Amino acid sequence: MTSFGADNNQRNGRQARHAAPAPAGAIDAVDMELLHSLEELQVVDDPDLIVELIDLYLLDAAQRVTQIREASIATDWVLLKRATHNLKGSSGNLGVRRVAELCEKLERMDSRDSPQTVADLLQLLEYETTMASAALAAVRQRRLG
Amino acid sequence: METFRAKLKQETPRRVLVADDDPVMRHLVTTALKQQEYEVVMARDGREAYRILQADSQFRAAIFDMKMPFLEGVDLVRYMKSERRLMRIPIMIISSGQDLKLMTSSFSAGAVAFLPKPFTPDQLQGAIRMLVGSGPSVLWAA
Repeated sequence: MTSFGADNNQRNGRQARHAAPAPAGAIDAVDMELLHSLEELQVVDDPDLIVELIDLYLLDAAQRVTQIREASIATDWVLLKRATHNLKGSSGNLGVRRVAELCEKLERMDSRDSPQTVADLLQLLEYETTMASAALAAVRQRRLG
Repeated sequence: METFRAKLKQETPRRVLVADDDPVMRHLVTTALKQQEYEVVMARDGREAYRILQADSQFRAAIFDMKMPFLEGVDLVRYMKSERRLMRIPIMIISSGQDLKLMTSSFSAGAVAFLPKPFTPDQLQGAIRMLVGSGPSVLWAA
């Protein structure tokens, strides 16, 4: 029922000294304050919520990026908008802001936009997703010890 | 009146239907409900939620994502409002669009709450409390 945020912060602080650092570009890919605020929802005796959310996100984001890439190749705007919309939602709530912002831009694209603009945005999205995934994986590693 | 209200609340099932095709959002909402001691029935898209609602109406509330494959959240709201056994269940729509049109269409279809993404844990918990507090038993007893 109550958050164990304080305990986790102390534990994470201890573990952070031993965990491998995230790659340079990944440092600010995730709003850590926002991510850790989700500890408020932690149910006592349940598995670590942040770790569970990271696991779900890493799997889902990779699938969505693949869907977006395939949709852009096939110029399937419906699929592209659906996949970017979904990725935007989960990214925003986990503090993965740059990915959420790029998804917002891609979601607004349509057949009037040049293929090069879409390709450039997609490339940026892939880069930012990779950086965010590395940052989240580092948080996961710290929390699991 | 207070005893009557408490009795009605007690008799209302502590089950909430959650439909979202995004596993991260589904897990967040489910955890927040679990924290408030609700049992969650999950659907992975609009069609699955529709099938559940065809067979089961024992829900204290329903929470739907706006954009889902097969059937959107607002379509589910319209369906529930057209069925006598489901029309009293309060519904909240969650959406990643902060568009006023989305909010208006949710409320005109019959939703009682609208939560735009991204949201904080406090906003989610507050919205859930408001949603379950607006249930049929409370309105009926008032």
